[in-house]
Amino acid sequence: MSTWLAILGVALATFLLRASFILFADPGKFPRAFRHALLFVPPAVLAAIVAPGLAMPHGTLDLSPGNARLVAGILTIAVASRLRHPLVAIAVGMPALWLLQWLMG
Amino acid sequence: MTARSAREEFLAGFREVAPMLVGTMPFGLVVGVAGSASGLTALQAMALSVLSFSGIAQLIVCQLLAVGSPPLVTILAGSVVSLRFVMYSAAVSPHIAHLDRRMRALIAFLMVDQSFAMTTRRFAEPGERASREWHTLGACATFYVSWQLSVAIGIAVGAQVPASWSLDFAVVLTFISLLVPVIRKRADLAAALVATAVALAAAGLPYRLALVVASIAGIGAGVAFDAWRKR
Repeated sequence: MSTWLAILGVALATFLLRASFILFADPGKFPRAFRHALLFVPPAVLAAIVAPGLAMPHGTLDLSPGNARLVAGILTIAVASRLRHPLVAIAVGMPALWLLQWLMG
Repeated sequence: MTARSAREEFLAGFREVAPMLVGTMPFGLVVGVAGSASGLTALQAMALSVLSFSGIAQLIVCQLLAVGSPPLVTILAGSVVSLRFVMYSAAVSPHIAHLDRRMRALIAFLMVDQSFAMTTRRFAEPGERASREWHTLGACATFYVSWQLSVAIGIAVGAQVPASWSLDFAVVLTFISLLVPVIRKRADLAAALVATAVALAAAGLPYRLALVVASIAGIGAGVAFDAWRKR
């Protein structure tokens, strides 16, 4: 039951956030500071999602070179910031991880 | 460019989106696999996908429900990672303000990262605007249908994907491919670095609240950086 509540709640929340300006708001009436803060939502949220996926693969912080996900992730970020194609990350990251995992046995 | 019919606009939207499916469908597959791995029933995972239509929100919900987080915390986390939709909504709203409410609600429901940029671009092009919402609908419908299909396949094959493939890493990689292009200025980098540091430092918080705290800290850092530079 609580699972369904969470599913319906998230569905409603994602719709209301998408509809916020389109349906309910006059974009001109929002304070400038609020609109300025919205600009930083993508870099902040996406970095907060990526960081634990690379640095805490098993739930604890692992910044050693033995952490294959961290090494493969940093390599991917380096390549993706030069070659801006949507498929670069997958094409570089997955083979890099497999190779590192194989090398580290 | 001369005015195109609704049908032509819809098909143009579809054609523009088709190559991007190479990137989004594997993501959908991973989200479907995550859904079945998190202990959701196939019906629940599919309902989540059909109703919220957001890979990131779906993944977060799966992760949180798997660790037994209460509905309110799950909804809060799902909302925080979806805050970027407010930005898209603000960017798209002036272009579609002339449409009726039902059409705007439909476009809002279907808006995702990839289609918002396309929509603002198409509306900004010169010429007759009469049927341009159909370009958006063509793009959005293509994403929606292909997304649900790939999630459904992911749910169905979920249990059979060997752990040694490390398919979960593909999810992190798709987030990297979204993250890298949004870091355009030093303030963006400041936001990302602070969010990274706080996400790791606050990882001990229950129910993955670290994500919420780190996001807010990162947004604050970006705002503070700009304020400091302007002094």
